[in-house]
Amino acid sequence: MIQIEGLNKTYHTGFLMRPKKALFDIHLNVPKGIIYGFIGPNGAGKSTTIKVLTGLLNYDSGKVQVAGYSPRVVKSRTHLGYCPEQPYFYDYLTGRELMSFYGRLAGLQGVELQKRIEWALNLVHANKDWIDRRLRTYSKGMMQRVGLAQSILSKPELLILDEPMSGLDPMGRRDVREAILSLNQEGVTIFYSSHLLSDVESISDRVAMIVDGKIVREGSIQEVTSSCSVQYHVRTGEITSNIDLPKGVKASTQSGEWTCEDAVARDLFIQFCLNNGISIERIDHHRPSLEDILTEEIARAES
Amino acid sequence: MQSLSHIGIIALNTFRESIRDKILYNIVFLAIGLALFSILLGEWSVFDRAHVIKSTTLTIMSLSGLLISVFVGISLVQKEIQRKTVLTLLSKPISRVSFIVGKYLGLLGVVASHLFLLTIVYYLILFLTHSSPSLSLLSAIYLVFCEMAVVVAVALLFSSFSTPVLSALFTLGVYFAGHLSNQLLEQVQFVKRMGEVEGFSSILMEKMAIVIHAVFPGLYRYNISSYVVHQIALPEWYLFWQSLYAIGYIGVFLAVASWWFNRRDFL
Repeated sequence: MIQIEGLNKTYHTGFLMRPKKALFDIHLNVPKGIIYGFIGPNGAGKSTTIKVLTGLLNYDSGKVQVAGYSPRVVKSRTHLGYCPEQPYFYDYLTGRELMSFYGRLAGLQGVELQKRIEWALNLVHANKDWIDRRLRTYSKGMMQRVGLAQSILSKPELLILDEPMSGLDPMGRRDVREAILSLNQEGVTIFYSSHLLSDVESISDRVAMIVDGKIVREGSIQEVTSSCSVQYHVRTGEITSNIDLPKGVKASTQSGEWTCEDAVARDLFIQFCLNNGISIERIDHHRPSLEDILTEEIARAES
Repeated sequence: MQSLSHIGIIALNTFRESIRDKILYNIVFLAIGLALFSILLGEWSVFDRAHVIKSTTLTIMSLSGLLISVFVGISLVQKEIQRKTVLTLLSKPISRVSFIVGKYLGLLGVVASHLFLLTIVYYLILFLTHSSPSLSLLSAIYLVFCEMAVVVAVALLFSSFSTPVLSALFTLGVYFAGHLSNQLLEQVQFVKRMGEVEGFSSILMEKMAIVIHAVFPGLYRYNISSYVVHQIALPEWYLFWQSLYAIGYIGVFLAVASWWFNRRDFL
């Protein structure tokens, strides 16, 4: 559904139009029918990539295809739904009027338009009394729901969402998560960016991690997390501070807690404890989460 | 066909958005107030009252149309960009050309409504003051509309790549240059003929005046108040050729605005 090969994007900022490269040789392939999470810290290039896909930004070089068309072509947006981060709309309209406006732009009319509006509003739990109020009175959560509803109004084959869960309360996040899953079950391909890594981990089929404009990890959640070694946490009895720990073992922040960076270090530490008469109270293994991996990648990029 | 429908929807939305603008009402009321004031001007003037009312009101129509284009029109595109409403709109299967043309037609609709309202006020004043209202005045009003159609396109062109303040200044500049370019050329040629300026300076001045006259839309063509007021016959096909002239300039301005808008990044 989305193919990106060697995408590069440079912004020119300030009076002197100083170049600042935002994307470096991005490669991504989003197959049809999956939920694809796009994660990274602020300013990493998530929104830039999304805006290139939706035709809002031009790009320097590379090949980008959305539903078989270049995003520079209007046809690429025929089966595309997009909700920007913090969606902004004409605030003098009511939520329902706004839906009608976007529906007519999508070529819907009359009864079909009304039915589609009801469907979209119900899906994002926005078919409430506030939908007939002016948008300027809406909270951030209401705006996010309306934004999501307008993006699905044309029943798109591809839905691109930029931070769809940001600013939502736990109920709102759950509703959006359920809407994404429900649309995906109907065959909609979903490409979305998010800071909420636990949500990404729970609903995405595949993820890509972007740091400083470069894709650093890509694959299924299993593939991405298993690419990092498992750490072991060992809890022991008291150890005097002036002893030499085996290689790969670090003291944790809590007293009596130790982190072994891999299985070899774990075995060495167990042997060390047995030799020195130190009691072992507990051993846990810890598979890194997306958050751990992202934190590690950010630290690596900064260093 | 789909593009035409998009243009219509965007134009209607632009019209609805513009008529909520408080500045628009200030300009409309100011124009009506000034049109009524022209009755007093007619009384005070040494010239014929009817002539003063007719020529003053036509000038008010042109200037108030200019103010609407500058204060309402220029902010239209910029507002879409600054408020980021353009993000959801342009992510739909809408070409940027449709967006620009839709915005243009919406604003032109506002200017047309304004002129329509002023025309009613104009004829009402002429009837009440027994100032011989004639249908020939409509041709002058039609040309004011053509002039405004060009000015709105200029405003939209500048607002597609510049800040609101600069766009306003550029649009005002084009309006006044368009009205004065003919006089400038005539003056320069007169001065040259009289031999007051000679040599290289004379050639340079004349060339500059010719370039200004050629590049800027000749908005002086749309001011036919002296013809109408004094009931002088216009040249044959005058309205047709001036309409064509306006359409040509509008086409060029909208094409450049669309081309530039196509190159823009929306953050």
